[in-house]
Amino acid sequence: MKKKCLSALAIITAVVMLASCSGFTRTSNNSGNVTLTLMGKTTDLNKSYMTRIFDLYQKSTGNKLDIISIEDDDYEMVAAEKFESGDTPDIFLHFHNADLNRFNIEDNFYYLNDESWVSDLTDGALAYCLDSSGNLLGLPFWESSVSGCYYNKTILDSLGLKPAATQTEFDVLCQALSDTGRTPICWPADGCSWMAQFGLDPIFADDPELLEKINKNEIAYSDIPDVRNMVEWISGAAEKGWFGSNYLNEGYSDISGILGSGNAVMTFIWDTWFYTDFDAGNKYSIDDFALMPVFLNTTEGGTYEGGNLNMMMVNKNSGNLDAALDFLSFCADDDNYNAAFDGISTVSCFKGQKSNIQSEMVTDAADSVAENERVSTAASRIIGYSAEDVLTALDSMFRGKTDVDGCVRLMDDYRIAEARMQGADGF
Amino acid sequence: MYKKKWFGKLTASALVCLVVIAAILIGIFYFNFISRKIYEDSTDHLSEVYGQVNRSFGAFVERNWGILYSWSDSAALNGADESTVPEFISREREYWGFSEFYFISADGKCVTADGTAGSMDLGKDWDILTLQGEPVMAGETLSDGQEIIVFAVPVPHAEYNGFGFDAIAISYTNADMANSLNVDSFSGKAKCFVIHNDGRVLISTQTGGNVFGNYLTYLNAAADLDESDLARIKNDWENGSAGLLQCKIGDVDYCIQYQPVGYQGYILLSAVPQNVVSAGFLSVQKITMNVLVIIFLLLGAALFTLLLLRSRKQSRKSETELQYRERIFDVLSNSVDDIFIMLDSENHNVDYISPNIERLLGIPVSEARDNIKVLEKCSPGGNVVIPKEEFAKIPLEGNKNWEYEYVHQHTGERRWYRMTVYNMVIRDIKKYIIVMSDRTLEQQMNQKMREALNAATSANEAKSNFLSNMSHDIRTPMNAIVGFSVLLEKDAENPDKVREYTRKITASSHHLLSLINDVLDMSKIESGKTSLNVDHFSLPELLEELNIILMPQAKAKQQEFKIFVNGTPPEQLVGDKLRLNQILINLLSNAVKYTPDGGKIDMTVSELSRPAQQFVKLRFVVRDNGIGMSEEFQKKIFSPFSREISSVTNKIQGTGLGMAITKNLVDLMGGIISVESAPGKGSTFTVELIFTVPEEDESDLWFSRKVKRIFVVDDEEDVCTHVKEMMSDTGVEVEYATDGTAAINAIIDAHRHGNDFDVILLDWKMPEPDGIQTARLIRDKVGHEVPILVLTSYDWSEIETEARAAGINAFMPKPFFTSTFWHTIKPLYTPDDDVKKQDAESEAGIMKGLLFLVAEDNELNAEILTEMLKMEGADCVVASNGKQAVDMFESSEPGHFDMILMDVQMPVMNGYEATGAIRASSHPEAKTIPIAAMTANTFAEDVRDALDSGMDGHLSKPIDMSAARELVSKLVKRSGPDAENKGGDNR
Repeated sequence: MKKKCLSALAIITAVVMLASCSGFTRTSNNSGNVTLTLMGKTTDLNKSYMTRIFDLYQKSTGNKLDIISIEDDDYEMVAAEKFESGDTPDIFLHFHNADLNRFNIEDNFYYLNDESWVSDLTDGALAYCLDSSGNLLGLPFWESSVSGCYYNKTILDSLGLKPAATQTEFDVLCQALSDTGRTPICWPADGCSWMAQFGLDPIFADDPELLEKINKNEIAYSDIPDVRNMVEWISGAAEKGWFGSNYLNEGYSDISGILGSGNAVMTFIWDTWFYTDFDAGNKYSIDDFALMPVFLNTTEGGTYEGGNLNMMMVNKNSGNLDAALDFLSFCADDDNYNAAFDGISTVSCFKGQKSNIQSEMVTDAADSVAENERVSTAASRIIGYSAEDVLTALDSMFRGKTDVDGCVRLMDDYRIAEARMQGADGF
Repeated sequence: MYKKKWFGKLTASALVCLVVIAAILIGIFYFNFISRKIYEDSTDHLSEVYGQVNRSFGAFVERNWGILYSWSDSAALNGADESTVPEFISREREYWGFSEFYFISADGKCVTADGTAGSMDLGKDWDILTLQGEPVMAGETLSDGQEIIVFAVPVPHAEYNGFGFDAIAISYTNADMANSLNVDSFSGKAKCFVIHNDGRVLISTQTGGNVFGNYLTYLNAAADLDESDLARIKNDWENGSAGLLQCKIGDVDYCIQYQPVGYQGYILLSAVPQNVVSAGFLSVQKITMNVLVIIFLLLGAALFTLLLLRSRKQSRKSETELQYRERIFDVLSNSVDDIFIMLDSENHNVDYISPNIERLLGIPVSEARDNIKVLEKCSPGGNVVIPKEEFAKIPLEGNKNWEYEYVHQHTGERRWYRMTVYNMVIRDIKKYIIVMSDRTLEQQMNQKMREALNAATSANEAKSNFLSNMSHDIRTPMNAIVGFSVLLEKDAENPDKVREYTRKITASSHHLLSLINDVLDMSKIESGKTSLNVDHFSLPELLEELNIILMPQAKAKQQEFKIFVNGTPPEQLVGDKLRLNQILINLLSNAVKYTPDGGKIDMTVSELSRPAQQFVKLRFVVRDNGIGMSEEFQKKIFSPFSREISSVTNKIQGTGLGMAITKNLVDLMGGIISVESAPGKGSTFTVELIFTVPEEDESDLWFSRKVKRIFVVDDEEDVCTHVKEMMSDTGVEVEYATDGTAAINAIIDAHRHGNDFDVILLDWKMPEPDGIQTARLIRDKVGHEVPILVLTSYDWSEIETEARAAGINAFMPKPFFTSTFWHTIKPLYTPDDDVKKQDAESEAGIMKGLLFLVAEDNELNAEILTEMLKMEGADCVVASNGKQAVDMFESSEPGHFDMILMDVQMPVMNGYEATGAIRASSHPEAKTIPIAAMTANTFAEDVRDALDSGMDGHLSKPIDMSAARELVSKLVKRSGPDAENKGGDNR
């Protein structure tokens, strides 16, 4: 209780201090209260750090936020209709994914490149919010995580092995682990659909031109050698037993047991999973794990996938443009975001973000993450991409129904079909 | 023999196996020896290679330390211008290839030549460096995580840009160091490490980086080494000993060799896959071994080839011989009528089949080879001709026979085959060899023999039956004749009894004669000596005669007998009337005979067709509702001596030859005869014959006789219309009525108008008024000018007197024929109506006063004839043979004999010869004297023979006096009263 009182006092103090600063008070006409409309998904808007920042803003500025909460399932359709009809909010919450394209970004949203808080964004968060032209579309204000290869360092030490820093080392490591009778990688093929997207991220994140072409249906996966390399590596790893003998029947819920028991040494997952799904009653605890890059034969140095971030985007046609920009600056203030994310387990989006809980695994690998992290590109930027479809294609290959090339073709077929369903241009 | 062969094969097989096993054992031994040798040499080589690597690495270490010591002594680092140090270091780095140069202080700090400060904790190595004054080589991780190898030497304490240091060092990255350990040997698959003696990895040549932290730990986890192995390794490493071991890591066998580097307990460890060690070492030995193996294989291959060639040659020879034999067998089998088949006993697949099966059974060889059951197609009844179960019962080396009839698939010919199946073992495989021998001829012969036997048996039985029947049938009339002859003698004084006895004797004689005639007729027909006597005859007359003959018989049994004519068949025909008559009488007599009292019998004549203008095909159908015949008997009714046995037929006399004679006569006349019958339902016989139709006389007889209109009265309108139809071609007008009253009215009406009918035809049996009453009424009304004829199917003798009294002029039998009608009315229009009567009367006394020369060798016959001629008022002179007859004729005066009756079969000179002699004699009447044959030979050919010999006529024995009178009237020209005198003279 005392802690809560102290926290509230600290917040109030911070608000007073902030209010006295001019850095975020872009609007000069603060004589009158401004009401900003903010549209988002119901679930997203109800996140604690969101409600905290909304409250903090309203209390600090006296401005009002008219929260337009739309049910999650209807969000894309309803929001699009509102933008078409001109019933647009001042601030719009959206992930940077392929669905964002339907909102006519250039005409509707304000590029935030020159905002003062940009330099405070972590590289990963900044990269996530930039469009292909380098324009900053929104303020990342969301909980985040780092996806990578989490390995059992205790087991590795006991085997006289060290984590890999390159794809080559990773292959040696997998074989060395396999030689000791361990399953190198936990690859639960029955439902864990995200695995392969870590390999696709470097292909499209490192070469935006490829992303553009594939989204215009000018090329396909089958035209990209790295895609085939990845699928071939996955196929080879499965054949060599690196996924274990029962991986086809293993699913999401099995990961905790497999990793916790030490039956597998590594898996491709995100740090917050250890706080939400990993069973502490296992033989091995979170302290036994460490982070290294994901190696899926698409980049020698491996890759991490940054989190998917909800962006606060400003309606460039808003009558309250300045107030909206001020709102973003308010949110990007280190005191405010630290107040909002206090105690939240997340990777930092801001360099000054300290109040959140960051896993030691990520912290220990900070340099490696900083060097090799990539925006979640495949899942969010490739039109028609469906992790489930990729899983289905891989499953066909794992079960011998098709070969590597057939798997790539299936991935293409499913992607193109999905894109056509979405009515994407060029498909 | 079979056991001996088997033993021989077993011994050979055992020897081959022993040789092979020995070769394998020697091979294994040699292979192991070579492998071990190669391995030993390989590991020696491995040790030697890595010994060299170790030495090189040592030199590398010494060099680095040497460099550092040289620098510590040089002015470059000691007391010189510090500003020149970076340049010096840069130059040296470029030359020696190290990564960095460090000044190291005792507190673990370090600074590079360009002044970059850092930390370098060398740990225990620092003690060695400073306390022992020894150079060190150590691994160090920089603050950025980079791992480096540091070479350091102690130096007297000095300062560099204010940084006090006690040692200097240069560093290399792991990659730089790896280059100094890499060897070209082992295809790049060797791993080499420099490790601490506790297993920690200092330097690794692992491609792409190092993931091994402690190799001893890794070996413990990954290799199949037990505790003692690990302890030995650990001990070796701690003691700085070299060693070599084999282990499996994962699925790969490794050779692990280690040796001390010589500094600070470092160990140089190499891990090389065993197959790489062997592959890369002493290739000459391997090549030698390979060459040996190849030579061995080549020798083996050569031997195998030689054996194979010999085997093939032998096999080819055997195959050739087999083909020769098969070809010869094919040719042989093609020339015989036996089919050869070899079947597998398990599945009945065809191993061989002789090609003549196509010729003999019409089955293609390929088809039979595919499935032997195709033979069943040839079985007329689709029988199983390959009885598998029966085959299986045949004992080994035994055989069994079957006989089947087969139908040739192309020609339909039926052939019999005896199938002999042999159960044999050929090369340990059970086979069935089938020989199908053609037994068709044998079967046919047997069949014929059976048929002949049956026929003979049947004939024998039939003849036995016949003789039995004949015995009975002949004895019956003979008994009557003999019996009544005795009675005749006894009652000779009683005229009534004499007449009765003679009548019965005559009847029995006629019956006996008919029996004899039948037998002789059949005998004649069967001997093929029957010929036809073709002449013009009248169909109506023939039918009238049949009616006359059969009507009394039918009437005696109260049977209804009718003859019908359908259509207008020609009345005049050319054919053998006698034989036709015989055929129809036989059929009709049988109908009467086998139809119970009160039954119905009819005969229908119809014209079927005219194959040509001058021919007509007639059908005679004799139908009765009598006892009928069984189907079985119908099949043999036309066979000789056949009589159906039943309670009814047993009471009926007969030889069983009648229908056989009938059939033969029909055949002789080129016709057909058939029968339809069923027991109790009567029988229908149908005879179809073709006759020649003579050209018709076109003269108009009817109008010349002033017959222009006739009136027919019959209650059956069909009869009326039939008459009208029959007369349609004559131009005579026909009117009719179906009852007497209407007829009378029409006739009276015609009379009143002066237009009387020229002839009136009346049915006898009509509803009131009947024919006679109607005639009487007509005479009353129209007088006696118009001829009235009665048309009837019945014997009119019983009503003739009454009918003539009623004014009926003549009688006509049904059915109506124009020719009959004409012959009937012709006398009525003759100017002298008494001529006919006179002719009849004159014929009755034609022989009166004539003298016959009778040539007869049988005295009894001569006596009978003499008496019969006397009864006719004639006389005769008897000659006992032909010669005597000739003599008597030649010696007679011209005109002495009126006629000669000549028996044919006589001693001394037969009748033909005698006739020839007479005709050839000089007697004035030699050519003209009438000579008639008098013989029991009554067939047409007998008649012809008689005429050919010069005779003028033929009389059958026994002599029928009416026939004799007719013949005499035809041949003897009476010259007036003298004749009677001459006869009287001779008497």
